[in-house]
Amino acid sequence: MAAENMNREVVLSVKDLKVNFRAYGGLVQAVRGISFDLYRGETLAIVGESGSGKSVSIKAILGILANNAIIADGSIMYDGMDLTKVKEDTFHEIRGNRIGLIFQDPLSALNPIMKIGNQITESLRLNRKMKKEEAKKVALELMKSVGIPEPEKRFDQYPFQFSGGMRQRIVIAIALAGDPEILICDEPTTALDVTVQAKILELINQIKKERNLSVIFITHDLGVVANMADRVNVMYAGKVVETGTAEEIFFEPAHPYTWALLSSMPDLHTKDRLDAIPGTPPNMIYPPKGDAFAARNAYAMKIDYEMEPPMFKITDTHAAATWLLHPKAAANGIEMPAGLKARIERMKRSGALNG
Amino acid sequence: MKYVLQRIGAMLLTLFMVMSLSFMVIRLMPMSLFENPEVPKEIQEKLEDKFHLNDPLPVQYFYFMEGIVTGLDFGISVKLRPGLDVWGIIVSRLPPTMLINFISLFISIPLGLIFGIIAALKRNTWIDSTISVFVILFISVPSFVFASLLQYVLTFVFPIFPTLYDSTATTLGAMMWSLTLPIIALSLSPIATLTRYLRGELIENISSDYILLARTKGLSRPQAIVRHAFRNSMMPITSTLVSLITGIMGGSLVVESMFAIPGTGGMLVKSIFAGDHFLTVAILIFYSAISLVTILVVDLSYSLIDPRVRVGGGK
Ligand SMILES: Nc1ncnc2c1ncn2[C@@H]1O[C@H](COP(=O)(O)OP(=O)(O)OP(=O)(O)O)[C@@H](O)[C@H]1O
Ligand code: SF4
Ligand SMILES: [Mg+2]
Repeated sequence: MAAENMNREVVLSVKDLKVNFRAYGGLVQAVRGISFDLYRGETLAIVGESGSGKSVSIKAILGILANNAIIADGSIMYDGMDLTKVKEDTFHEIRGNRIGLIFQDPLSALNPIMKIGNQITESLRLNRKMKKEEAKKVALELMKSVGIPEPEKRFDQYPFQFSGGMRQRIVIAIALAGDPEILICDEPTTALDVTVQAKILELINQIKKERNLSVIFITHDLGVVANMADRVNVMYAGKVVETGTAEEIFFEPAHPYTWALLSSMPDLHTKDRLDAIPGTPPNMIYPPKGDAFAARNAYAMKIDYEMEPPMFKITDTHAAATWLLHPKAAANGIEMPAGLKARIERMKRSGALNG
Repeated sequence: MKYVLQRIGAMLLTLFMVMSLSFMVIRLMPMSLFENPEVPKEIQEKLEDKFHLNDPLPVQYFYFMEGIVTGLDFGISVKLRPGLDVWGIIVSRLPPTMLINFISLFISIPLGLIFGIIAALKRNTWIDSTISVFVILFISVPSFVFASLLQYVLTFVFPIFPTLYDSTATTLGAMMWSLTLPIIALSLSPIATLTRYLRGELIENISSDYILLARTKGLSRPQAIVRHAFRNSMMPITSTLVSLITGIMGGSLVVESMFAIPGTGGMLVKSIFAGDHFLTVAILIFYSAISLVTILVVDLSYSLIDPRVRVGGGK
């Protein structure tokens, strides 16, 4: 798929985005200059630990950042507009209608005292001025397409009458109601049972194909990424530290943080988790001077504590921000851990990727 | 339906206990009215008759309860209106109290809602802070303090309003004019209570996930707030109605006395000081009944509004 992407159209382009939050202790630098393109029809995964700035990045795209947020720098180009400059009075024409969002927690995302049907039809009736019956017809169609049995009956029910998985299907239906071309999924299955997770992922994949959506898929679970993504951005401490096609990230990871993520992923074949990532992410009010990952990185060199590594290009689609890729360091011959290497070999053989 | 019956049953049981307690208070009170030489002979006889004092206590209790249930017979006034039927006194005293209490309630609700909404939308600005200062002041200082303050400033220093209730007023306007200060004094605390409650509810709802979802599906921020946050905040507000109403009734006791308003509240205070037990007890029972009915109505309407209770099932 990597090659296909090359001549595809870019639908959304994030450039050097920086988002800070005013907080009591000072400025939280949640996103520190990320850039990526989303191509039409692809699924781009953003992976990273909790607090790495995944949700903040996509909230910036949707213009729903908290009040104390400041977009300090950068641009988000979409359809000739810079979304960082779109005014709140007009942003709602983009949200839902052009870019849809699926939430992390379907349990709290639905209004508990509003009928499911009305929650789906609401924006159709308000923004598209649809008649009641017409909107209902669209909603029932949507409910059917996201796999809600007996949509007629369910239409007049309240969220508490739905299971977690069913609620997430409703949230997906709501996101699709405005017929968006970009669908952003922020950890859509984290709050769900494992068995339900797989079904929701399948549904998202199916919808994506049917509607030719471009999808940004956020998760901290690399296992999910393997089944969903064409390309992957690995985020750490508010930065993209490695970007590549799914194959490149899984089979030729270059950044020690990606190594750590891959190592900490539970493995179906050996059942052992190799290593949890040691330490904790840095304090984002005072991000460290050099590479933010240095303190947790067994391979850290002197320079890592002093200077931030730039993105080193590995292939046309693959790049990573680590000094290990600097020609001088490469001479030292530092490689990924042997356990991980063995695991990758196993994955390659078993064809674990959907790619 | 079962729920409704349960609630009504619980209410009746509470009322029954209040009445039983009242009976004990009357019969066991130290300065008993029954052998009091101050009480005129004919009233003593009337009382003996009414309470069947020659029968054993349980029988007396039965007659007492029966009197209330079948004929609203709470006994007779002994000191303040000697010989008069207590229920009759309450009824004649009800209009002024109801008038100021209802007006106070109907002023408080819209004002409390408006200030609550403003404070929540202007959260953490000077507007919000100013409102919060007044809220704290009005909630923590009892209404009679404001009543005396208003009375002093607006009837004595600047004689704008009459000092006392104008019982000789010939026009409705003049009467209402003399009731303005007590109504204001009664309304401050309920307004503040409602403001504080709604502000909290709204702020919580505005930062909820479903407001975010409403916005991501294409509603503008004002649309999302009005259609989701307001509606969802109103629901728990109904439960504050109980405390608003009981708060106003409680405040009315003292405020009526201060402005010489001939209502049940002032009567209750007077009867306590005069030791007119039947009157005291009757008004207390009456007030408990009103509170219980309020709680019942609010509870039931809440269960009608909230689908999670109405449709049943889960949370
Ligand atoms: N409103 C806010 N005010 C201050 N700091 C914030 C705010 N919102 C987010 N942050 C901070 O920004 C950082 C990134 O948060 P973000 O929600 O993007 O993490 P995430 O990668 O989505 O993590 P998770 O996997 O837990 O969802 C965190 O350190 C968080 O504390
Ligand atoms: S730049 Fe240094 S600290 Fe950062 S990942 Fe590479 S080796 Fe580790
Ligand atoms: Mg998140």
